[in-house]
Amino acid sequence: MDERLEKALDFSNYMLTLNNQKRLLAEKYQEGLIYFHNGSQFTVTRELITFVSVMISAEQDEVVVIDDNSIPCLVNDINEFYGELLNTYTTASNDYYTEYTKLKKNRSVEKLVNYD
Amino acid sequence: MTKGVFLIAKNNGYVDYVKQAVFLARRIKKYLDMPVSIATDSVEYLENIFGVDDFDKIIKLDYVDSSNMKYFFDGTLSKKAASFKNANRADVYKLSPYDETIIMDTDYIISNDLLKSVFDSTSDFLIYKKSTDIAKVRDEIEFEKISDTSIDFYWATVIFFRKTKTNKIFFNLVNHIEEEWSHYRRVYQITSSLFRNDFAFSIAIHIMNGFQTGSFAQQLPGNMMYTTDKDILWQLTDDEMMFLVEKKDYLGEYTALKTTGQNIHVMNKFSLGRIIDKEFANE
Repeated sequence: MDERLEKALDFSNYMLTLNNQKRLLAEKYQEGLIYFHNGSQFTVTRELITFVSVMISAEQDEVVVIDDNSIPCLVNDINEFYGELLNTYTTASNDYYTEYTKLKKNRSVEKLVNYD
Repeated sequence: MTKGVFLIAKNNGYVDYVKQAVFLARRIKKYLDMPVSIATDSVEYLENIFGVDDFDKIIKLDYVDSSNMKYFFDGTLSKKAASFKNANRADVYKLSPYDETIIMDTDYIISNDLLKSVFDSTSDFLIYKKSTDIAKVRDEIEFEKISDTSIDFYWATVIFFRKTKTNKIFFNLVNHIEEEWSHYRRVYQITSSLFRNDFAFSIAIHIMNGFQTGSFAQQLPGNMMYTTDKDILWQLTDDEMMFLVEKKDYLGEYTALKTTGQNIHVMNKFSLGRIIDKEFANE
């Protein structure tokens, strides 16, 4: 095989694996964003965080938020809820960043999948 | 309220579901810290080969042969035809010793504690609808609708339910659909005659919702992640799994892929069996 093509195919294989790993990491990040409160399930988004923050700024004591299954949930302690949302979001995002940075440094298929 | 995970294992000539159940029970204890019960038609085999310590309760099922045959692949190039003993899944409502149960297929590999939170859910029935093929090279439409012209697809692989009057009606309905499968598969335009629990549960959910999309079934957290039996589970270490996934348009070639801390439905029973053998040998 032409050496140029062989090298291109090697790189193509590497990119395929890298893209797959990035996709799985993104899936894992989405799972990390899930937070449960009073039996309701929330995927924490910047929109949700901002909404709760606005409600705190408006000096609301409690707030109704709609969960992932479209079920309304009454949050009594809005400050605690806000803290938990922030914690979930930052923990998941930091983990994502750390894993993503690690992934980018791996320059071979073997290293990408950590295969001995 | 009693809580636990319930598994059903009925071996055929090729696939050792009991072995899978023992393996999964150990992972459930590790990641979910929940009691696990099993219903099986191979109680003696379970007791003699694996012991009973992994299970809270063991329920004996009568041995029933199945005419439901299907191909079980082991990667893209190897397959075997074997009986698919998936009948009476809906009996779990009666069989489960728990008030709140997660029923799980034995080839669903738990690697995190995400499902533990479902016991606090305000919903009495949770199931997966959204799913992700980890290979992303295949058409996923078959897991979106039960047929081209029909209703939404739900996965019967993992289900959370409480013993409520409504859920009793639901599970009885699934039993009825199974008994009258040749009728329901025609009504819902399913071309294959193979009975699948995913289809029966999807139809039952549709009926419970008043024959439309509705809120009877809520979604389990996250996505149902799966690999088909055309992929191969190659390595498993704690919460890390390495797969060789089918390469698009290159029959017999694979791409390596690693998951960490993610629950995966591993449909290649043969490669899962090989990995379990390795794990048990190391214990």
